[in-house]
Amino acid sequence: MSQSYNRGLIEDFSRWREFEAGMWAWIFHKFTGWVLIGYLFTHIAVLSTAIPASGAETAVLQAGNDVYTQTIVSLEGLLLVRVLEVGLLAVAVFHMLNGARLLLVDLGVGLESQDKSFYASLVLTGAITVASVPTFIAGAF
Amino acid sequence: MSTQIPKQTEKADETAAETESEAPSKGDERRAEKRRRADEQRRQREAEEAERAAADENTVELRVFRYDPDVEGKQEPRFDTFHVPFTKGMTVLDALMYSRDTYDSSLTFRHSCRQAVCGSDAMFVNGGQKLACKTQIDELEEPIRVEPLPHAEVTKDLVVDLEHFYDQMEAVEPYFQTNEYPDGELEEQRQTRENREKIKMSTRCIWCSACMSSCNIAAGDNEYLGPAAINKAYRFAMDEREGEDVKQKRLEIIEQEHGVWRCQTQFSCTEVCPKDIPLTEHIQELKREAVKNNLKFW
Amino acid sequence: MAQRYSSFEKGGRMWLLQRVTAAFLLVVLAFHFFLLHFVHHADEVSFLMSAGRMETMSYYSLMVLFLLTATFHGVNGVYNALVNQGLTGTKRTVIKWTLVAASVVLILQGIRTANAWAGIPLY
Repeated sequence: MSQSYNRGLIEDFSRWREFEAGMWAWIFHKFTGWVLIGYLFTHIAVLSTAIPASGAETAVLQAGNDVYTQTIVSLEGLLLVRVLEVGLLAVAVFHMLNGARLLLVDLGVGLESQDKSFYASLVLTGAITVASVPTFIAGAF
Repeated sequence: MSTQIPKQTEKADETAAETESEAPSKGDERRAEKRRRADEQRRQREAEEAERAAADENTVELRVFRYDPDVEGKQEPRFDTFHVPFTKGMTVLDALMYSRDTYDSSLTFRHSCRQAVCGSDAMFVNGGQKLACKTQIDELEEPIRVEPLPHAEVTKDLVVDLEHFYDQMEAVEPYFQTNEYPDGELEEQRQTRENREKIKMSTRCIWCSACMSSCNIAAGDNEYLGPAAINKAYRFAMDEREGEDVKQKRLEIIEQEHGVWRCQTQFSCTEVCPKDIPLTEHIQELKREAVKNNLKFW
Repeated sequence: MAQRYSSFEKGGRMWLLQRVTAAFLLVVLAFHFFLLHFVHHADEVSFLMSAGRMETMSYYSLMVLFLLTATFHGVNGVYNALVNQGLTGTKRTVIKWTLVAASVVLILQGIRTANAWAGIPLY
């Protein structure tokens, strides 16, 4: 639908205040989806340091001096990486919980309480993330 | 209140410039003077009325979107404020009609039956798609912002071009078709009570386009059929009297790439529908129906 | 007007596949997180431990399947997001095949990595 003139803020940005639960769920799901696919590519790239590492001597591997172990250990040693990992967990957990909600919606289950299930997935995401912080940060200091 | 064309002085200058180049007749001058005086009087009257209205506690403030591509000076979209005396049971449409009849006869909007049947006055009221004739003023926060439906081209003021919406409705062939007839020539095509109950909500659509305007996907993907058209398709696809052949044809229409699969279950359409049609539910059911239909042939 | 539409059925199959992979990923991703952050901890990763897991055939095949489904689910999701935004014509074809190429690269690299751990000489 072409615009005869630019309605600007009316069309786009200022509307977020009027969004209902379903729209927020969609926006968060899309955003977390982008983050996860981006992470998948990064993840495989980092893990592929295992390819050169597999050529190393057994003694080197046992001492943990190979490229792969060194890369992961130095990355995990950075506090920033640990914090980002907590963020990744939050993003993944939300995407999973809201994904489960969407699967139910696709099956036609509980469409009347779709807003409540969205709030529930938000709260659960928060709870799981907070509960996981000690495990994720352990050994970073 | 502020229904004046902006840049009034500029216009006056232009007229003055014209006067110098070609001497106008006495009549022209007189008419111009008369117009100027009428303008002044109107402005004064409106200012007085607005003052009175603002002082009166029992008025509502309406901020209405104005735009007219045909009038120079109105091509820039703006908001006009109207103060309308509140009466019990007043709807947004009532307030708009009062504004038009009292303050500015050029205020343009569609309306007909005024009782949520014709579906011609869907508007964007306080940030939501509403049917103006069934939206009570006292349920809204003031000032009430009235805008034309988003994601459609504005023709003038609150009127949007619905041609695309009607095209999408056409595309699902929104009329009863069948090749299964009852035996007797004069026998009626009867529907079971259960089947009628199933399609009941979907028959309530009044083609107001509120759902289409609220749909984020329809806004981006112009080919998407949209909630109203898919609901229409549901109404007939689920009608058992149409028979299996016609149903297959209907499923083909709704399961093309820009049919049901584009729906992202944002529930915006279901939220805004003035007739409370469970649009998302119907779209989801058609998705499952389409999947089942395809699995049969695997 | 219905005749102008032609891509019958195709959308439906992808839609279903997106849901099926979603259900699978829901379980496997939860397992993946649990195993690699709660059972084993992030600061004790080593090549030999990863290799030890990967040498088990069931773990290896689960991870390869995980990679395949995650790539499909993610890339198809991105593609859908773009189509929803009104991506059409040549641009759409170009982006589609770019995404397919990226997926192929990702899957190949992922399998090579898994092979390196599992001791399969195909990398």
